[in-house]
Amino acid sequence: MSDPIKLRATVKDSTGEVRVLMPHPMESGLRRAPSGQLIPARHITSVVLSLNGRPVIEGALGSAVSANPLFAFQLEGVKAGDQLAVAWRDNTGQRGNAEAVFSAA
Amino acid sequence: MKHLARRNFLQVFGSSTALSILVGSGLLKPGMALAVEFNRSAFEAKTAADALRLIGAAGAESSPDILIKAPEIAENGAVVPIEVTSRIPGTTRLSVLVDKNPYPLALQFNFAAGATPTFQAKLKMAETSRLRVVASAAGRHYTLFREVKVTVGGCGE
Repeated sequence: MSDPIKLRATVKDSTGEVRVLMPHPMESGLRRAPSGQLIPARHITSVVLSLNGRPVIEGALGSAVSANPLFAFQLEGVKAGDQLAVAWRDNTGQRGNAEAVFSAA
Repeated sequence: MKHLARRNFLQVFGSSTALSILVGSGLLKPGMALAVEFNRSAFEAKTAADALRLIGAAGAESSPDILIKAPEIAENGAVVPIEVTSRIPGTTRLSVLVDKNPYPLALQFNFAAGATPTFQAKLKMAETSRLRVVASAAGRHYTLFREVKVTVGGCGE
């Protein structure tokens, strides 16, 4: 079980600012453990951001995204109280998701 | 040549299998407007030229309407903050490549109506490299690159 996603959603003049932090090792599969063994690749491959249930931003991520991916996005036509959801999936099939409500900045 | 063609077919098949698993899991629902399935072959490409070809952006033309904010010198290649914005009307996808990374394609974002084609992210960079952004709008591809010097690489060690 990984740490919970941190999701911040604020709105100012109908522009929504989203910041999302997804705790995840984002192992590239190229690093070696002290024993010399390759550490297997384990990274988020897809992220979906939804506004009131409608997907608005979809991402495909490679292993070059830093550990514990932190992203910021901007949505238009947002008002306080709108629902934001984020869901990710990694190459091992693990998943995570979180929800937040937009609040006035 | 025949061997290569077969390999490409398998890669394409592989990525569509991955997509159907996503659909089956309910994370991606069939009929969703966005379709940025994890393009495995592009993400596994080992050169920027191959990755660009595999995301269909080999002939991208240079555009000053793409904005890239990135440090000129990154002290720590494990965490290089970038901010990317496209001012090209109708931009629906932004892709980022780090030319000299072992796997150059770093990420792709699709933007539906209501989402501004801009984002901030943090990337790993193995060494000093071009950071390349491709913006896709109405089936056309535009590109801009920026050189980022890396003091301590952030991929292998």
